[in-house]
Amino acid sequence: MTIDTPLRKLASPRLTLVLFVLFGAGVLGAHFSKLSPTWTLAVPLLLFALNLLAAIVVNPVFRRRIPLLVFHLALLALIVLVAVSRLTYLRGHVELTDGETFRGRISGVESGPLHPWHLDREVFTQEGFTINYDPGIQRDRTRSRVEWLDSRGRRHVGVIGDQHPLVLGGYRFYTTYNKGFAPTFTWYPVSGGPPRRGSIHLPSYPENEYRQALQWTLPGTHVALWTELQIDERILNPKRPSQFRVPTHYRLIVRLKGARYVLQPGDHIDLPGGRLVYDGLRTWMGYQVFYDWTTPWLLAACLVAMLSLAWHYGGRFAARPWLADGDDSEDIRPKSDETGIKAPSSHPRKFPSRLIFSICTRLGFR
Amino acid sequence: MEREALLLWLAVGVYVAAGSLAIVGVVMGKRPERTVLGLLVLGLALHGLSIGLRWERLGHGPYLTMFEILSSNIWSLLFIFSLAYWRFRPIRPIAAVVVPLVFIMMGWMLLLNRGPGHLPATYNTIWLAIHILFGKVFLGTVLVAVGMAGVILLRRAGVGVQKLSRLPDDRRLDDLAYRFMALGFIFETLMLIAGAIWAQNAWGRYWSWDPLETWSFITWVVLAFALHLRATLKPAPRRGAVLILTVFVLAFLTFFGVPFISKVPHQGAI
Repeated sequence: MTIDTPLRKLASPRLTLVLFVLFGAGVLGAHFSKLSPTWTLAVPLLLFALNLLAAIVVNPVFRRRIPLLVFHLALLALIVLVAVSRLTYLRGHVELTDGETFRGRISGVESGPLHPWHLDREVFTQEGFTINYDPGIQRDRTRSRVEWLDSRGRRHVGVIGDQHPLVLGGYRFYTTYNKGFAPTFTWYPVSGGPPRRGSIHLPSYPENEYRQALQWTLPGTHVALWTELQIDERILNPKRPSQFRVPTHYRLIVRLKGARYVLQPGDHIDLPGGRLVYDGLRTWMGYQVFYDWTTPWLLAACLVAMLSLAWHYGGRFAARPWLADGDDSEDIRPKSDETGIKAPSSHPRKFPSRLIFSICTRLGFR
Repeated sequence: MEREALLLWLAVGVYVAAGSLAIVGVVMGKRPERTVLGLLVLGLALHGLSIGLRWERLGHGPYLTMFEILSSNIWSLLFIFSLAYWRFRPIRPIAAVVVPLVFIMMGWMLLLNRGPGHLPATYNTIWLAIHILFGKVFLGTVLVAVGMAGVILLRRAGVGVQKLSRLPDDRRLDDLAYRFMALGFIFETLMLIAGAIWAQNAWGRYWSWDPLETWSFITWVVLAFALHLRATLKPAPRRGAVLILTVFVLAFLTFFGVPFISKVPHQGAI
């Protein structure tokens, strides 16, 4: 047994077929079991990478066919890039009130273990948004106004939404369908500390049109307040085009231990721990945050793979008329004298039992 | 709107005439191929005009409602098939296999509501059009391969052996079918790439394993498996034909079945 025999077994195109089956099973397994595809596909992809690498090294067809070599190198690059992507990506979301500045805090974070955290350096301010609705309350264009400072401290103002995210330091901020109303308060503690201003984000509108209520806790206390927004006008008209906006006719109801308060902007409630002032009603926008520096490289690898494959097939198809006798499929099987393993005959095989038996035999499994 | 419907009905009538003539030609041993090709071209022109009028009226392409998607797919499938029919004379009798498949889609289309759909803001991008275009070419090339695979399987099953004898032998048909499958593989991959670019812009992720993405990818894996198997083990034409049919069934279910079960924004047809 020569030292490179295991490498030749690893390079087997029959192993590639087995890996295709394993790969497909991994995709289906993740789909039906709700397991993370990252883990169900990691093993087949790793084996694919090893199989590809070994095939490129030992199979002489890749030295005869440059386009085929480029295609397989691009596939290898693609697998490596997918792995790097999963190690460094980040996904999360954030909700910002009109006038609020994003300072790096996001929720629902999913990230790779090697993600280069610098989200806290990316700062921008939400300056409100408009969303048009078609009849039937069908959401149309979203335009969200944002303001940010670049690395030189220069101020920029822009409008993002739908296909146009805000991109800061590689992080991409996308508007979402998730948005709503945000009653804003200022809390003056009796202890004499600095007043604290904040807002609560009522459930997404119009998805939760009839559930515009939320229970929340005053900062630094255990006092739970139940707050409800009762809108006394129609914001979105199902019969004609309309626009998302803050209502002008509404009541903000706050309940605390059986007491009920109806607030207008400027009203306040005196509580045991301090005074709560209602400042007014604003809007909030939910953003999806995405980071993956590999995406342009993934695209480049995909395009190189496809161009080289088209080059390969184009060359083969041009070499022989489309309805000529013969078979133009590339024989990628290693020859007997190259492998030390007897190459299979080119006679048609029984499928799938003999195929599986043959694959297992070639791989040394009996 | 009435003109659109009239043109569509005329196109369907012409398609049915072309398809019926092609089938009768194979059964009777006749070769009315020029007439069939002429009728196909006429049907495509009428149908294309109907689609164009609807596009002009609604302000968006035929890719929102199931009616629009079926209509545009029937057009693109028959366009690609007509190109193959015109270019590869010896395989023209495969029309007897291909046309009944398109007849089923036509019947389905005529049962559907022709009302307009809502164009989401995320659909307002050139990448969606590119994604759809590549998808249609993919399905069209696989359909042509299915025609040849169907002939191989019919002959192996002893059905219409004499009627189909003027077609090339199984090995040549298999070879040609896999050329179309190779083209289909390239266009399906391009469809997935364009779709990933669209998804990244529209929803902030290039891939999320939603049902449509998952089943498109399964189709891609099976097609890649079929092409690799052919290069590796050179299976008999009948095995190759079964794999071609498997890819087509998966692709068809992905295009026209998965949208009914998907609850995510990327719903495809509906």
